[in-house]
Formats: sequence, C-alpha cells, structure tokens
Amino acid sequence: MPKIEVPENIFYSLLGQRMSDEELVDIFPVAKAELDGHDTENHILKIELNDTNRPDLWSAAGVARALKCYMTGEIPYYDFFSTKDDERPSDGRIVIDDESAIGIRDYSIGFAARGKEVDDELLVNLIQSQEKLCTNFGRKRRTIAMGIYRSELIKYPVHYAAVDPDATKFVPLGMTEELSLREICEKHPKGREYGHIVSSFPRFPYLYDDNGDTLSFPPVINSARIGAVEVGDSEFFIEVSGPILDDLLLTVSILSCDMADMGFEILPVKCRFAKDTPYGREITVPYYFQKPIAASLDLIHGKLGEDLTGDDCIAALKRMGVYAIEDGGMVYADVPEYRNDFLHGVDLVEDVMIGHGLMNFEPVMPHDFTIGRLSPVEEFSRKVKGILVGLGFQEMMYNYLGSKREYIDNMHLTGDEAVFIANPMSENYEVIRPSVLPCLLESESVSGHAVYPHSIFEIGKVTVKDAADNSGTRTKDSLGFFSSDAAIGYNDAASYMNTLMYFLRKEYSLSEVKEDPRFIPGRCAYIVYKGEIAGIFGEVHPQVLESWGCSMPAIMAEIDLDKLMM
Amino acid sequence: MDIDVKNLHPLEVKLLRHVSPGEDITAERIVGELGYKVGQCNQAFSWLSAKGCIEESSRAKRTIYELTDVGRSQKEDGMAPERIFAFLRENGAHTMPEIAEALSLEKSDVGSAFGLLSSKGTLCLNSERKAEAVSGSLPSEVIIQRSLLDKAAAEGGSLDEASLSGDERKAIAALAKKRGASSSPFRIVEREDVVYHLTAEGEAARKALLEANITGEELGVLTPAMIQSGAWKSGTFRPYGINAPTSRLIPGRRNAYSEYLQWVKDKLISLGFEEFDGPLVENEFWNGDALFMPQFHSARDIHDVYYVKDPVHCREIEEPWLSQVSATHENGWKTGSRGWGYSFDHEFTRRQVLRSQGTVLSAHQLTKAKVPGKYFGVVRCFRYDQVDATHGADFYQTEGIVLGKDVNLKNLLGLLKMFAEEIAGAEEVKYVPGYFPFTEPSIEVHIKHPVLGWFELGGSGIFRPEVTEPLGIDVPVLAWGLGIDRMALMHLGLNDLRELFTPDIENVRTRRGN
Repeated sequence: MPKIEVPENIFYSLLGQRMSDEELVDIFPVAKAELDGHDTENHILKIELNDTNRPDLWSAAGVARALKCYMTGEIPYYDFFSTKDDERPSDGRIVIDDESAIGIRDYSIGFAARGKEVDDELLVNLIQSQEKLCTNFGRKRRTIAMGIYRSELIKYPVHYAAVDPDATKFVPLGMTEELSLREICEKHPKGREYGHIVSSFPRFPYLYDDNGDTLSFPPVINSARIGAVEVGDSEFFIEVSGPILDDLLLTVSILSCDMADMGFEILPVKCRFAKDTPYGREITVPYYFQKPIAASLDLIHGKLGEDLTGDDCIAALKRMGVYAIEDGGMVYADVPEYRNDFLHGVDLVEDVMIGHGLMNFEPVMPHDFTIGRLSPVEEFSRKVKGILVGLGFQEMMYNYLGSKREYIDNMHLTGDEAVFIANPMSENYEVIRPSVLPCLLESESVSGHAVYPHSIFEIGKVTVKDAADNSGTRTKDSLGFFSSDAAIGYNDAASYMNTLMYFLRKEYSLSEVKEDPRFIPGRCAYIVYKGEIAGIFGEVHPQVLESWGCSMPAIMAEIDLDKLMM
Repeated sequence: MDIDVKNLHPLEVKLLRHVSPGEDITAERIVGELGYKVGQCNQAFSWLSAKGCIEESSRAKRTIYELTDVGRSQKEDGMAPERIFAFLRENGAHTMPEIAEALSLEKSDVGSAFGLLSSKGTLCLNSERKAEAVSGSLPSEVIIQRSLLDKAAAEGGSLDEASLSGDERKAIAALAKKRGASSSPFRIVEREDVVYHLTAEGEAARKALLEANITGEELGVLTPAMIQSGAWKSGTFRPYGINAPTSRLIPGRRNAYSEYLQWVKDKLISLGFEEFDGPLVENEFWNGDALFMPQFHSARDIHDVYYVKDPVHCREIEEPWLSQVSATHENGWKTGSRGWGYSFDHEFTRRQVLRSQGTVLSAHQLTKAKVPGKYFGVVRCFRYDQVDATHGADFYQTEGIVLGKDVNLKNLLGLLKMFAEEIAGAEEVKYVPGYFPFTEPSIEVHIKHPVLGWFELGGSGIFRPEVTEPLGIDVPVLAWGLGIDRMALMHLGLNDLRELFTPDIENVRTRRGN
C-alpha cells in the first residue's frame, strides 16, 4: 500500500480548512485512506492509501480533493484539458517523439506549469508524488518515468529519440563530469538502479531540446542543468515516458490537477507521436481520454440491496467528484480527468455506495438456507487425532517451508521427489516439505529438556512430485507420528499402528521395506491398504538421529490419509 | 499455623494422642510405649516438628557400645582365653597346635590368648613346650571383659558408656571399634538423644484429634484384599490432605492453535458454510488471472510470490476457464467490462507458484459451486516476506464465499457483523470502503475487541463480474477473508506469529488457550 508523508500546511491549505486528527480519521475512509500517524513536532501527516488502483489519491492534493469534494459536494473544474475536438493553445510548446524509440520505450509526453515559486516543502512534496506514481503505478519506472525540468532553459520543440548509448554523453544530475548513457548505467546510482530497464536495447531513450541540450536519459536520470530543479524556481516542464500511452496520459492528468490545486497555471504542450494511437498522431496534453461509464439502476439496486433513486445516485456520485445523469433507468457518468479505474458498471456502483455513505446501509443476514459441512479430510483427521491423543501423543503444528538440510539431507534422502522453490528468499525456506517426519525430528532435536517419552504427531499437508498430475506435483494429507524413549522399538510402532487402524476400521497388511535410509533395516514395514502402499513405520535409523543431534531411540510412522480414506 | 488434623499421618496421630503437655517425649519412650520402629519414630518427630506441634527441649550426645555378632558368640561360647584356660585345666598340658585343633580356633588367636595369659602368670610353657595352667583363676582383664559381655547381653545388646566404671570403660575401649568392627566384640555408636515436648500448637492438635475421634487406626490405602474380605467395613477411612502437592502428568493433547482453528471451522459450519480445500502448488492462472488481477499487477512480481523450480509450468489450464478468463483480461469478454486492455500471456498463466492467497480456492470453488451456496476454507498460504514476529513464510488464511441470486452489499454487511460477533466477540463493528482487485464494492470490517481494541478483522466484497462470469457463475458472490491470526495469538497468550508453529515440545505441551 502506498504511504505518503504530507506537511500539515500544504494539506490543510489544499483542503481549505484545518481538521482535527479525529475528524480526519472519520472522513479518510471515503478516500480509502488511513491516518497512519501525525508527527506533531515536524508537522507531518502520515497517510496510508489502500486503493492500489487509484494513483490519483497518492498525493496530498489527491486526498484533499477527494475529501473536499465529499464534504462540499462540488466537483472541481480543470480548464486546461484538451480533447480530440477541443484543443487548448500550446503556444509553440511541442514534444516530438522519434520513431527510433518505438519498441524501446514508445512514448514521451509532457506539459508545463508556472506561476508559483516552489519552496522546500512544496518541492519535497512534488518529488514524493513523482516517486509514488513512478514506483507504485509505474512499476519502478518500467512503465512510467517522470522528469521535472526548468522550463525557462528549454528551447522547444523537445525531442525524444533512442540514441547510441556510447556516443551520447551529458552531465547527469548529482555528478560533475560528462558520462555516456552506458557509463551512467554503470556508474551513476540511479543508473545502477534503473539502467536495466533499457540496457538490453541497442539504443537508449534520450530527451533533448531544440538546441541539443540534454533534458534527461529516461527512465534513469535528468541532466545536471535543465533537469536540476531548485527551491525558488517557478517555471517547469514535466515529462513522462513509457510504453503504455493511457498510463502516461493518466499520470500527466493527475499531476497537472495536483499542481493546479496547489496554485500553478498549467500550460498545455503539443505531443507528436511516431506511430498511430487511439487518439491520433498528435494530441495536446493534458488530454482527456477517458470514456464515459454507465450502470443501470437495476445493477445498482442489485449490488447494494437498496432502492436508490436516480437522484440519490447522482448526488452520491457528485460527492465522489463524478458528474452523472440518469436517463431511462441508466446512470451515465463522466469519469473525472484524474481517474481511470472504471472498468465496469460495478466500479460506479462502489462510488455510489461510498458517496451515499456506508453507514446508511443496514446489515441484513443472507436468508438462503445452506448446510454446513466439514471437508472429508478434516472429518477423518479429527477421528485420527482423537485416537492418537488417547494413545498419549501430543499434536504439533509446523511450517511447510524449510531447508534442504532439514527436509532431505538430515533424512539421508536424495530429495528426488521434493518440490523446490525457484526464488527462495533464504535457504531456510527453499523446499516445500515432502514429509511430516523431518518436522517431527526437528521437534525431537530441540526438545532434549522435555520429559520423556516424547510422543508427538501432526496431520498436515506435504507436497511431492507426481508426473501423473497436471501440475507435476501432488499435495497429500499426511499423518506423521513419532515417539522416543530409552526403551522403545519396532513393536511399539507396530502396536500403535495396529491400534490406530483397528479403531479406524481399516484392514491393512504389512510388507517388507527393501531399503529406506530413514529406518533401521529389517525393523520397518510398509502399510499396505487396498493393495497400495499407504505408509511406512519403524525404528528410526541412528544415522538419522545422529544427523539431527538426537540420542534417544525412536520410532516413527507416516501415512497418506488420502489413500486411507479411499 | 492452623493445622487440619485430618491431614495428619497415623504415626503423628498416635503420638499426639499418647503424650501430654509437660512430658518428655523421646525416641526411646515412643519406641517402647507405642511400638514404633526407630525410623517411624524419627519420621513422626520430624513431621511434627515441621508443623510446630513439638519442640526440642534438649539434645545430648552419648556413646553406645553395641554387641557385634562376634561379641554375641563370645558371650555364648566363651572368649579364646577363657576357653583355652578351661581346656588346659580339664585336659592337662597341650601344644599350641593341639589346642587350636581341639577348640577350632585360629592359631593366631591361640597365640595371642596364650601371650596375654602367660604375661599375667596364668599359663606357662613346660619343658615339653606344652602350655599348662599354673593359676586357678583368670586375670582381672579377662574377667572384666566377660562381665561386659554378660552385662551387654543382659541389657539388650548395648551398653551406655555413662553406665560403666572407669575400669570397664578402659576395658571396653580395648574391645570396641568404630568402623570395621566385624572381628571385634563391640561396635562404638555415637548417638544423639533428643528430648521433645508438646507445644501449644501440638496441644491444640491433640485436643482436636480427641474431639474428632481420630485415632490413627483409620484405614489407609484401599486394597483389593480389603474389598474382597470386607475388612473395610469394620474401620473408617483416613481422610487425605486434599491440598497435597500433585505430581505432573503429561497427557496426550491436541495442539492449542489447531484447536482454535477447529473452533473457527465449527463456528463457520454452524453458520451454514461448507469447507473447501486444495493443493499447495497453484499456477498463475488460478493464483491471479482467475481473480482478475492483471498479469502485470505489482503483487504478482517475482518478489511477492514463490515460484516452483520444477516443473516450472503446469501442462494445461482447464477450458473453458482459460479462454473466458483470458478474453476478460484482454477486452472484458461478455462481462460488460472493458478489461485490462493488454495481451494475455498464455505461458505466464501456466507458471506454477505456491498459493499466495486463500481467495484462490474461492475461485476454484466457483467452478463447482451450488447456488445458493456458502463455502469456506482455513488454508495455508505462502508469501515472499522476511520472516519475523508478524510475518511467517507460511500461514493460515480464513476465506469464503456466499453465492445467491439476491445477495447484496447489505447481506455482506450482515455476514461481517455475524463473524464479528460470533467469531471475534466484537463489541462494536465499523465498515469502511476497501480495495481488492477482485471485488467491487470492497469493504473492510473493523471491530472493537474487548481485549485488543479496534483492529481490522477482515476484508470482503462482492466478486467482480470479471471474476465470476468467466468461471460460469451468473449470480452475485460475496467474498470475505478474516484475519484470525491476531485473535489466535491473543487466545494463546502469544505475541509472535512464529510461535504458532513452534517445534518445541515442552512449549506445546504447556500451551493453553483462553
């Protein structure tokens, strides 16, 4: 979940009023936000945003806009958006995308802003918004990267192209010497962090002005001159690049609305693409690209269980900043400029719900009658547990992930049937357990201080390879039990098994185990049930005990409950 | 100290009843008068002292000489000097070997006895080198020794040093040893005589015993023989101390966490839910695609899900689900959605992962669900997280769905309220809008718990049509998940999630739920 830290002053001024923490806690849910903390010493509000599909809410301006709208019922109006048929003047500000970037990082678009000197707080806040959008929404800059530049130094048109990474050089932000794009990937901290996004291509994205001065090497780093925004600057050019045009347009819309809310004048920029887009070859940005969304009153009533009128819905949506009309049982809505999360009518339904107020919906129990039922394996497991507890065994519960050393090496097995993880976080959690037995032995190895005998069991899942299954693996419900004491042996294991099977009403026979390194040869047996091997038990081989650092003789058994339930 | 006289042992009871205030209580007296063995007597003294019923008046050390087996046979058969003297007087002079032979004595004993007697002028060697008696009586040393033997035998086998004369003391010292006394006639025993008297406490106990008519003759352990013979009918049973310390028993037991999960399952069963279950290895299709999470969703990153090493992919994804789900992602299919608008990756969807969320099983269940239907699962999930007190590599999630022609948001709220009250024991319930990729609308339920205060109990919502319709369901489906781990920890008195799966046997043996 995205978290943001917002200076109180900026937040309250965007909101148009000061509010107490209690008031914020109460109202935040309408923006799916939570007050994560309030640093009263440094005057910082910490806000957590729960809707990962609403990047417009990941900024002070976005949260303030949603709350203000909800409280006043007034939808903000932004006059700087162009549409296909209605272009705002761009006054010679142009970005030209070159076809060389297609297939590498297709688009770069931008807009300009002016009219407000940025101070420390505002600059930090602006950079935080940029980071949230590029990291969370832009998948760590893979699909969205953003640069903020000093607009007064730029000579339009701005050019976006893919260039020779070795021949192209500039001084990157944070350094003093000129480096090639490839050198930046190797030497600059940002290059090492983000260079991999483009470094496999023969040419790298590059943004420069009509004088040939560098703006940036997207998605990696700005130039040290045009790309170095400082406190006191008041004229900016904002550029975003990436492979998905709608994501870029939305990002620009969010940022331009945020900056407009903060008091900037937004200056449109004409963007010329190197390929056809759903919006043509040339658009003026910020650009309104969203299509209207509709939901029938039937859908709204069905989902919410409340017969809201068309007017109720329209009023509710207005509080959510969504302009809507009702006509013939359908609610039609214009999607706000800064949102693109309406995929289906149900998304509109949710906004009606929030706008109407969740507290205004009465909890009602579902009235359908259904029969409750345990899964067959749960029911069978309970029987087994009852018998083993009666035999003096303690039930255990274990993690299902462990190390190769525990699950395989210590058991003196080859591990052929174990399912490994391709991307383990550490070698302590790299295998799904193929058996309950190593878990029981781990208990034994850490419980030398506990009074003997140690009689323990677990019923749980294990996973092994199984070529017959679509997944090549099989998850089994497995029972393992283990007992250690100074005098314990095969007969004890056989007696436990016999007692268990008697009360489960399972007729079984035993067959000889040719070789199993976990058990003492000649002192273990397979359990044969309905002609199939369903389990094994016997005396634990001292080599296994030794590997686990145990010194008490022990017996153990494992049974495939799925087979036993057949 | 207030004594419950019912808790007194028969040895204590009889002793207390036997003595009176002001009397000396000694081991000798109790052994003599009550027929206790010395050991029993000492036990009774030590218990009663501990209870404050008797107190030491005085304590004195004394030395006792006890007859050994050798001493007893010397008393009966005579000491070597006595026997040699008598033999020679009766049978005339004999050589040493002849004497030893005739009296079955060791030659060395004969030699040392002769040495003693000849030095006192009782015997001498004649010209034939034979010993003969030259005096009519034994020397005084031997006579004292004889008298000591007789006296000791007469006094029950032991002599108190204090009762002996100076000569006797000197003589007995020569005959006795402290250790290794097997060849000596006397053994030296140092003994402490302790004299006790009854305390006020003891007197109170004594009176209470008399009043309650407890005699110490009550029946102790009930034996099969007593039942068979009916002997118990003629006595009363000694009451036992009910507060005596108990011994530790180690029972076979269910695991406390597993019992808690069982309780949750039973609750859900009682609310009409049917349990589902499934394999740990899933594929991207069911783990994410079927839940309408776009394949590029950040939660599907390599750093959020565990991939299976081998086989990397499953063989196939079942139809028609694959076609319907992929079309829904691309353009909304027939669901009325615009879809995510990207090209669905048919290889990625087969990639195998460890189940990362319980909702996966809800998606599976949709393909085989009845309408109306209620389903749930308490299922193990795996998440790519650093293991610490609040994150496990694998953990349980509790999830479920409700299908019905008319189920809606208000039913969802009703369901959440029921969970909050029935399962979490909530005092207050609060609903707030939430976000999950697969539900719309989405609701979080926060509850005020009597112990834990306000916290988020779970997430829920109505499955998006993009989830239900491609899986063949054309009615609304309520989906919910409950975070019961926090309640489980509280229930078990723990504060570290890792403890739920501890391998430590002692820990699990002693763990209790609330």
